[in-house]
Amino acid sequence: MWNYEKRLQFPVKIRKACPRTASLIISQFGGPDGELAASMRYLSQRYTMSDRAVAGLLTDIGTEELAHLEMVCAMIYQLTKNMKPEDAREAGFEAYYIDHTAGIWPTAAAGVPFNACEFQSKGDSITDLFEDLAAEQKARSTYENLIRVIEDPDVLTPLKFLREREIVHFQRFGEALEKVKTTLDEKNFYYFNPEFDWQIGRQQNKQHDRERETMTI
Amino acid sequence: MAERAQLLEQIQETEFQIDDLVLYLDTHPLDNTALDTFKQVKNRRYELLQDYAKKYEPLNQYLVCPDTNNESGSWTEYPDQRHFTWTDGPLPWDCEWEWEQKGGM
Repeated sequence: MWNYEKRLQFPVKIRKACPRTASLIISQFGGPDGELAASMRYLSQRYTMSDRAVAGLLTDIGTEELAHLEMVCAMIYQLTKNMKPEDAREAGFEAYYIDHTAGIWPTAAAGVPFNACEFQSKGDSITDLFEDLAAEQKARSTYENLIRVIEDPDVLTPLKFLREREIVHFQRFGEALEKVKTTLDEKNFYYFNPEFDWQIGRQQNKQHDRERETMTI
Repeated sequence: MAERAQLLEQIQETEFQIDDLVLYLDTHPLDNTALDTFKQVKNRRYELLQDYAKKYEPLNQYLVCPDTNNESGSWTEYPDQRHFTWTDGPLPWDCEWEWEQKGGM
C-alpha cells in the first residue's frame, strides 16, 4: 500500500520553457537508466530478496524513485508548458509533439519507448544487488551528462539533487550487498542462488555441522 | 517569499531528513544517534503538516477534515463551505511563479 503526499520531494520551479531541454530530461523518466526503470526494478526484486532488511531497503528506495519520477515529470511539464507548434519545431521536439502533444509519456531521449527489458529481476540476491549498484551509477552518469549540457539554473538545481540521491542509494545498496555476503561468507556458499536454493544451503550446512562435530569428537 | 511557499519548503526539508534517515537506518538499525534524530524529525514533520493543513490544505488524506476550512481561503473553490478539502491547493507540478500570478500565495 502506498500513501500519496501532494508535494514534490524537492522543489521544481522552472520559469523559462524549453522543449529541447525537456526532450533530453525525458530520458530520466522512460530511458534505460531512468526513474521508472529504477522504481520498477527495486519494487519487483524485493519479494524474493533473501534478507528481510534488504527487501525493506528495496521498498524504501523503490518508493523514493517514484518521487524522483514525479520530479522529472514535473520538470518536463514545466519545460513544455504553453508551447506553440513553432516552439516544438524550432526546439527539435516535433517528433514527440506529433505523437504526444505536451503529454508526458515514458521514452528515452533518443526516442526508444520505455521497455521492461531495461531492468532485470533475476531472483538471485547477489545478481540483483550488483544490478542495483550498477543502475545507480548509470543513473548518476546520465544526470552528469544532463548537467553538462543544460545551462538553466532552475533546471540544474533539481538535477543536482537527483544526482546526489543516486550516490546515497549506491552507498546503501553497497551496505546491503555486504550484509547478504556476510551471511553467505559464514557458510562459504556462493555456488547456489540464496533466494531459490536455500534448502540446498541448509542441507549442506547440516552436513558441515555434523562433520565438525565428528572432528571434535 | 510568501508564507505558503516557505512552510512548504520547511516540510520538504524535514521530510527529506526522514527519507534519508530511513535509508540509513535500514542498513544501520542500531545507530542510537540516528534513532534519536529520527524521533525528533518525525514529530516536527507532523507539527508542520498539521500547521500547513490548518492554514492552507491537507497534503495527505489523513489530514483531511471536512469541518475545517483553510484559514487563508486560498486555492479553494469553496471558501467558507463544508467540503472535501483534499481537492484544494495546487498540484505538485504547478509552477510557483504561476501561483503568484493567481494570487494564490
